[in-house]
Parts: sequence; C-alpha cells; structure tokens
Amino acid sequence: MARAGTNLRTSYLESNEVLRRPYQKLMVAIILAAAIGLPTSSSDYFLHLVNLCLLACVGALGLMILTGFCGQISLGHAAFLAIGAFTTVILTVHLKMPFIVVVPAAAVSGAIVGFIVGLPSLRFRGVYLAISTLAMHYAIIFLCTSYQAKFGTSASAGITISDPIIGPFRLRGEYAWYYFLLALLTLVTTGCVNLVRTRPGRAWMAIRDRDIAAEALGINLTRYKLSAFMLSATLASVSGSLAAYYSNVVTVEGYTLDLAVIYVAMIIVGGMGSILGGLLGAIFITLLPYGIDNVFEFLPRAWRFGSTVFGVQVGAVGVCIILFLLLEPKGLAEVWRRTETYFDRWPFRYRPLDTTRR
Amino acid sequence: MKKLSLRRGATAAAIIACFAGFSAAQGQETYKIGYITDLSGPLAGSYTPTWEGFELYIKALNDRGGINGKKIDVVLDDDGLKADRAVAAAKKQTERDQVVGIFGLSLSSTQGPVYAEMRKIGVPVVTTFSGIGDALPPAQPFSYSTGVVFEIAGEAIGELAQNIKKGGKVVGMTFDSVGGRAAIAHNKKAVEASGGTWDEVIFPIATSDFTPFAQAVAEKKPDIVVGHYGSGQNLGVIPALRRSGYNGPYVVASYGVTEDTVRQAAQRAGSGDNIYYVTRYSSAFDKNPSVAEVADAQKKYGTSKPFSSMHVTGWALGKFAEAALKGCGWPCTREKLDMMIQTLKVDMAGLTGGPIEMSATDHYGPSYWRLYAWDAKDNTMEPKGAWVKKSSQGFK
Amino acid sequence: MVRAEADPSACFPERTVSVEFIATVVILTCTYALLAAGIVILYKAGRVVNFAHGEIAIVGGYVFYSSGLMFGGSPWFAILGAIVFSIVMGAFIYATMMRRVVGEPFYVAILITVGIAIVLKSAIIVIWHAEQVTIDIGVAPAVRLAGGATLSYMDLASIVLTVAFFVALYLFLTFTRLGVQFRGTAENPLLASQRGVNVNLVLSLAWIIAVLAATLSGVLYGGRAFLGTASVSIGLAGLTAALVGGLDSLRGAVVGAFIVALAQYLTVRLIDPVLSEALPFLILLVVMSIRPWGLFGTVEELDRV
Repeated sequence: MARAGTNLRTSYLESNEVLRRPYQKLMVAIILAAAIGLPTSSSDYFLHLVNLCLLACVGALGLMILTGFCGQISLGHAAFLAIGAFTTVILTVHLKMPFIVVVPAAAVSGAIVGFIVGLPSLRFRGVYLAISTLAMHYAIIFLCTSYQAKFGTSASAGITISDPIIGPFRLRGEYAWYYFLLALLTLVTTGCVNLVRTRPGRAWMAIRDRDIAAEALGINLTRYKLSAFMLSATLASVSGSLAAYYSNVVTVEGYTLDLAVIYVAMIIVGGMGSILGGLLGAIFITLLPYGIDNVFEFLPRAWRFGSTVFGVQVGAVGVCIILFLLLEPKGLAEVWRRTETYFDRWPFRYRPLDTTRR
Repeated sequence: MKKLSLRRGATAAAIIACFAGFSAAQGQETYKIGYITDLSGPLAGSYTPTWEGFELYIKALNDRGGINGKKIDVVLDDDGLKADRAVAAAKKQTERDQVVGIFGLSLSSTQGPVYAEMRKIGVPVVTTFSGIGDALPPAQPFSYSTGVVFEIAGEAIGELAQNIKKGGKVVGMTFDSVGGRAAIAHNKKAVEASGGTWDEVIFPIATSDFTPFAQAVAEKKPDIVVGHYGSGQNLGVIPALRRSGYNGPYVVASYGVTEDTVRQAAQRAGSGDNIYYVTRYSSAFDKNPSVAEVADAQKKYGTSKPFSSMHVTGWALGKFAEAALKGCGWPCTREKLDMMIQTLKVDMAGLTGGPIEMSATDHYGPSYWRLYAWDAKDNTMEPKGAWVKKSSQGFK
Repeated sequence: MVRAEADPSACFPERTVSVEFIATVVILTCTYALLAAGIVILYKAGRVVNFAHGEIAIVGGYVFYSSGLMFGGSPWFAILGAIVFSIVMGAFIYATMMRRVVGEPFYVAILITVGIAIVLKSAIIVIWHAEQVTIDIGVAPAVRLAGGATLSYMDLASIVLTVAFFVALYLFLTFTRLGVQFRGTAENPLLASQRGVNVNLVLSLAWIIAVLAATLSGVLYGGRAFLGTASVSIGLAGLTAALVGGLDSLRGAVVGAFIVALAQYLTVRLIDPVLSEALPFLILLVVMSIRPWGLFGTVEELDRV
C-alpha cells in the first residue's frame, strides 16, 4: 500500500513496525557493522569494558520490562543475578554440566525464583512491593552466603569456575566473549522489542498505567504481572550466569543492594518504558565510573589521592539519577528521540499532526 | 533556547572528556608496577594507610637511587571495593601502562577475580592486607600474598590467646560474612586443640545496636572474648561488652584495625584494661628499629592518616617488592618477576616475626603473629609473648 | 553451619526480664521510633517515602561529630551544628528537588530519595574519608544497674530526648497554628493552599523536622555503635518500623518501633543472633499480609503509595 508520507500511517501494521523509515534501517545496519568490526580497533581493556556493558544490557532489559513497562518496582534484581551465578556454580562444580546446559538451566531457575518473588505483586503495589522484593533479596543472599561458606575453597575467595566450552570452542578472551555477547544481546533485544510491541507489551503497559482499569478491560493481572517478573528474573539470571563464566569467580559479596539500585539507575537514566532506553542506560551507568576515572587522570597526582575526590564516583550515579529525574525524566531515550526528530524534520521546526508517535 | 543549548554543550563536553583519556601512556626507563586498592569505598579508612605505607617505602627507595639506578613508577588505581572495577583497573594497568606486576588489592572478595584475570595474561599479583586461598599451597600460578588469610589468622589468634589465659573458655564474635565465619571456625579449632572450650556469637552485618549481642556474650561467662571484625565493630562492641558487665580480656583481631581505634574504644568503654591486639605485622608502638624507620619516613614524607600498623604492613610489602624487582634485574619481564618471587626469602628485620618466604607451590609462606597488650596509662601497646609462627600448610 | 549454642539455663523467665533487658529494649525502641517518626512525618506531609532516611541520619551524626570537633569537643557547638544542618538540608532537599516533582507519579519522588541516598553516602566518603567515627560524649559507663550492667549518660539521654521529641511534636501539631496547618496540608494540600496555608513553608518544615529527627537518631546511633558507610542500613530498619505501625501514624511509629525492637532483642538472645537483621522484614511481611496499611495506618487505597 502507498505510504502517506514519513510521519503518517495508514494501517495498524505500519504503526507496529519497528524500523519505519529507510534511514532507521540504514542506521541499524551501520551500527551492526560497526559493532562487528569494533574489536579490530580496540584495546583489550576497552573490549573488557564493552563486554561489561553487554552483560549489563541483558540484565537491564529484564528490569526495564518489569519496572519500565509493567510498572512493578523491584529492588530484587541483584538477587536474580546472584541466582544465575550460583546456579552456574552448583551445576558446574557439583554436577559438572557443560555450558550449553547450564545457561538454560540458570534461565529456568531464574524463572522459578521470579515467579516466587512476583507473588507478592498480586497483593501489593508501590513501595510495599518494593519492600517485599527487598525482603526476598535478603533471603536469597542469605542462602547464597550459606552456600559459599560451606562450599567455597578458601571461604573468602569465592568459588572458581572454568571457562565455558561450546562444542570445539573455548570461550576465553575478550574477542570471543564480545562476539558471543553481541549475538546474545541482539537476540534478546529483538525478542524484547517484539514482546513489547505485541499483546504482552500492551498488557504490561496497561497494568503500569492503571491496573484496576486494565483488569476491567479483561487483562489477566496475575498472568501478566507474574510473567513480567519471570521474564525479568530469567534475563537477569542469564546475565548473572554469563558474568560468572566471564570472570571465572563467583563471590556473594558482589551482590549487594547497591547493585540493585544501580540497575534501577540504569533504567531511570535510560528512560523508563523504552527498550532503547534500557540499552543506553546500561551502557551509560556501566561506563560512568571509568569515564570519571579518565577525567581524574588529568588532575595532578598529589591532588587525586590526597583528598578523597574518588568518592565522587560513588555519588555520580546518585547525581545522575536526580538530574535525570528532574531535568530529563524520559531519559536518554528521549534525548535520542529529540535528536532523531530534529534531523528528521529539518529544516522544519515543528512536526505535522502525528498521533501515532511512540 | 540559549540556556538549553548551553546545557547540551556542557553535557557533550563532559562526555567527550570522559572518553578522551583512553590513550596510551608514555614509557620511560623505570620499573613499572601497579597498585590497586580501595581509596574511595567503605573501607578506604583501612586500605588507604596500607597504600601509604607502600608509597612511603617506594618514595624512600627512589630517593636512595632506586634499584640498579632505575626508579620505581607505581601506577595507582582505585577499585572502590568492587571486583569489576578491580579487574578493569588490572587490565588497564597491564595493557596501557605495561606494568610488570600488580600489588596491594583490597577486600578478599575482589582478589579472586583479579587473580583469575591476571593468571590468563601471566602477570604476578602480590596482595597484602587480606589474602585468599589461591596463594596457599598448592598455590595457583601468578597469585601471591603477604596479607592476612582469615583461616590462618583465626588459628594464630586461638594459639596466642593462650598467652592470656591457658585453657579457658573463649567466646568468638564476628559478623555474618564468609570470611568471618571461616576465621571463627579455625579459631575454634585452635582453642579446642589447646585444651580450651569454645562458644561464639555471630551477628548480622547491619546491626542497630551491639548491646544485645554483648549481653549474649556476657551471659556465657567467658574467660576471653575475641572479635573478628573491623574498626567500627570494635568501637561498638568493646563499650557494649563493658556495659553488659564483662570486664575480662578482649582480643582485637587486626583486620585493618588501627591502634588509634583501640585507644578510642578504650576511652569509650571507660577503661582500657584487658584489651589485647593480634597482628601479623608489628604494631606502630613496637620499639623495633624497623618500625622506627617507617615512623621516620612517615614524618619525612607525610601521610594523611596517623601512623598505624597498616603503614607497617604496606611498608613490608614495599620491601618485598624491592627484593623481587632487584632480583628480576633489567629489563624485567613478567615471567622473570614471577620466577623471581617464587625464590624469595626476604628478611623483614622486625616488621614481622620472621622472613617472608615463597616457593613454587607455596605463595604465602610461613607467617608470624604477635599479641600485644594495650596499656591504658600511656596509651601504647606492649608485646606479650613472642612471635608465633604459623605454617601455611594444611589449610586447603 | 556454625551458630551460637543456646544455653538452656539462661533462658527464662527470671534472667530474661531483667532491668538490663528492659533498658536495652527501651533504648532500641527509641532509636527506631525516631527514625520511624521522621519517615511518617514525610509521608504524612508529602506522600513521599524517604529511602534516604538512614543516610541523612548518619550524615547528621557526622555533622554533629565534626561540629563538636571543630570547636574543641564542645557539645553545644555540636548541637548547634546539627540543628543548622537539619534546617539547611531539609529546606534544600524540599526546595530544589521535592517541590519540583509534586505532580509526578509516586515512584519519581521515591527514586529521587534513592538518588539522594547515594549522594549522601558519597559525601561521607568525600568529606569524612569514610572514617568510622563514634560520638564519644557521655558514653562511658555511668549508672549501675542491678545485675552488673551499666548505662551511660548517653543511654539515658536517648530515652529522655526521644520522649521530649515526641511530646514536643505532639504539642506542636495540636496546639500551634503552624501545626494545625501542617495537619491540614497532610490531609488535603489543595484545599489547604486555597485556604491560605503556605504549603511550601509547611512542607519545608516537614522536611526540616524529619531531618532533625534523623540527625538525632544518627547521633544516638553514633554513640551506641559507630558511624560509617555501612551504618546507613538503619534507615531500612526505621522504614520497616514505620510500615509496621502505619506510614501515616506517629502513634504507629512508636508501636512499630517497639515491636521491631522487642522482636529483634528476643531473637538475639533466644534464637539466633544472625537472624535479627532479617527479622524486621519478616514481621513486616506478616503485618502486611494481614493489614497492609500498618497497625495504626488509615485504611486507604494502596494505590496512593
């Protein structure tokens, strides 16, 4: 069917398209090509940071769906990551299972835990739900601590696991991990984008906006709330499992409440309610401390370590949360959209009537 | 509109500044080593003096002319007590700054991942302050430690407590962490092996008031109480114990607890009697000439923290690093340094009870521990008994 | 798993209900009650659940410590410093941040307090170098109790000050004009502003009082335990106490604090000390399942939270 200009749609099918305009498709192609070519021109250190970002993205997408799309506040994300990591440890150390079995198993255990943690959401909302997820966090971390105390080699060292082996390949080194994580993230992102623009996504968004009305419209709250929790936990669990393989060591001390808050910061900074926001937020928050480190390197040495200016890195995440909430509540995704529309409409300033902007 | 574009310009500049520094550093004719520790996180109060001790030694060494005429250049990075940042800093130091070895590190939970990553590249890592099992025999390659391993500390404290009262009832306290529980388990072993009885109270990490736990301990009528935790907890527990009516001996296990903390705790408790202190490296009040040397260096170069056994710990690591680099020669590569460390037997001259020795399978060596008694009248510490030697065998 | 061995002869009843027991529970209740009161005030006034309360308390404690230190250990300057801090911090938080998110969904205000919490935690590191400090004014054992235990002057002061605070708050809310305006704004801000109440003033005042309560509890905590970046978790305990008692009831704050304190103490002495951290959450989950709005809270649509 003929297109009625770049801003207007003539069918629901068109409005549901992910990449509407030709330049968007081109841009995605360029980004993918750049992503594939990235390792050839980067240092090992930079690739390491990129890998950390990719891992964070997977986890952040889970939380974005739960909080950004479905509106359920959850402070238990660190616990889900821990579940993934410890499932990996138990299966590799005790049952000697290979990578291909362990990661899906971690996903399944994440789903189960997500189901359990999601049950209070049927009864509570808002801050009460946040507190109950917090309680679950402590419970899960307690279990993990007990496990590590019992089975850790030298108790304080954590548990070591060896590199994953997929068929004839050994997943070791930044290059290999980068491509693996890139492929995984592409898959996960595509899946999430599709979920969000079809029925589950719309149901979640309805629940977020006004769940009583959603129920009145016939949306099964139980089913969609629980599925949001399960999906979020599954993605976090997979991310945690892969992170465990990536760093070869698992310690429970790394899974603190602060980590859960950092993931919440990722989705705030990225912009709640947008998949692109989840990715941008994850990248931004992950790279923030290293970026600040770089800025500090310009200061003379005596300055840096005499005072504890370093403490600023800890506060930077908090400052970002506050600034974004006050000045840019829709996050980095909104910044992106604004840039996009600026170039799209140029040289015009204002947009023509368009009711299906997303 | 102008305000908006100003805001955007500022944001863009900030983002560019963040990425500007990702370029390689210049190289000179120096020995380059890396030091990563917690300078900004929750335990910066303990790790900063350890770093300062190390820095003092290196400064003094460079002023003497360095090693073989070449100075030591230390690349310092902060890990904020997070394993991710420690690993990233290690990768940056080995790749960009081309360090031959990494020293220091922080909390035991950050050490495992750094050891694992550096093992892949083949860079020797020597930790201090804490130590983990990777360094204990049979040791993992490239992983060394001159710090305090919880299990060994627990046993050493159990043995040293016998100097206070033989065969009595010892109650151990710690907070609910993996390291604390490990220390307690080994403390129990040592106490029961020397004929004493054991009981314990473990409290949560986040606690609002130490009084209930202190009361639980006092109720058990112990002969000696041992505390396996850091400064803050000691400051809270010691007064709480005295308030609950327990005025017997209390042993501070030095996981980064400084002498100043002991003084403050004694003051808060109203009396400094019966407080003891166990440490691997000499206390700042020890009258040994090596300790005086560290004190002199501190006065000469200045540090931000008051002089404590943490500075002595860092200084000892500096001494170890000098011996390693000296033996490595020039040019020093990572493999050479690694091989060199395995052959080291460095005389500590009173900084601890004996030399630090490493071997191909034992990357920790025998450790020496001492008990000090706090003297409330002069606000100093006196050693009580001789150094106890603990072998590193049998902990894995 | 290693745990404390329970000594059967030390169970009950004569040992447990000693003067020492009562004193400890009362003092613990005071700590939690002050924290809970601050949270309740903020919720009543602005419908904001403050996740930064623990951090504010600890930073307030540090300010008290530093003010005292700056003028040679004098407690009066310390108190002055703490009061100035409360006024400045409370007004600042309200004016720059809370006021601007008035119309937004509930989670925005909560997330801003989360951001404030992180920034305050980093302030402890940057300004005070994350040193673990204690408040040493009057903490030496002073009053002897039956059974060998002692209380310090600070212990006594904490009880007195908490009672004084609640009494003062009650008098303020009931008998002063500003207090009545406060209650009016809490019930219906729009109507109150249309009746001429300066809502901004009232809400800033709410924040100032809350920060003052938090600072007081931080100082008392610094006297009994220590101030450090790890200490900020008392905020969660206070939040739990407030939720148990009902987020908009001051009476509930005291009762909730007492329940949590008593339960924690009994857990430590009779069951297993390690569980005392998780216990407040357990109590909260139980209370929430039966009566989601807290023991004394107004029965309301949970949607508002």
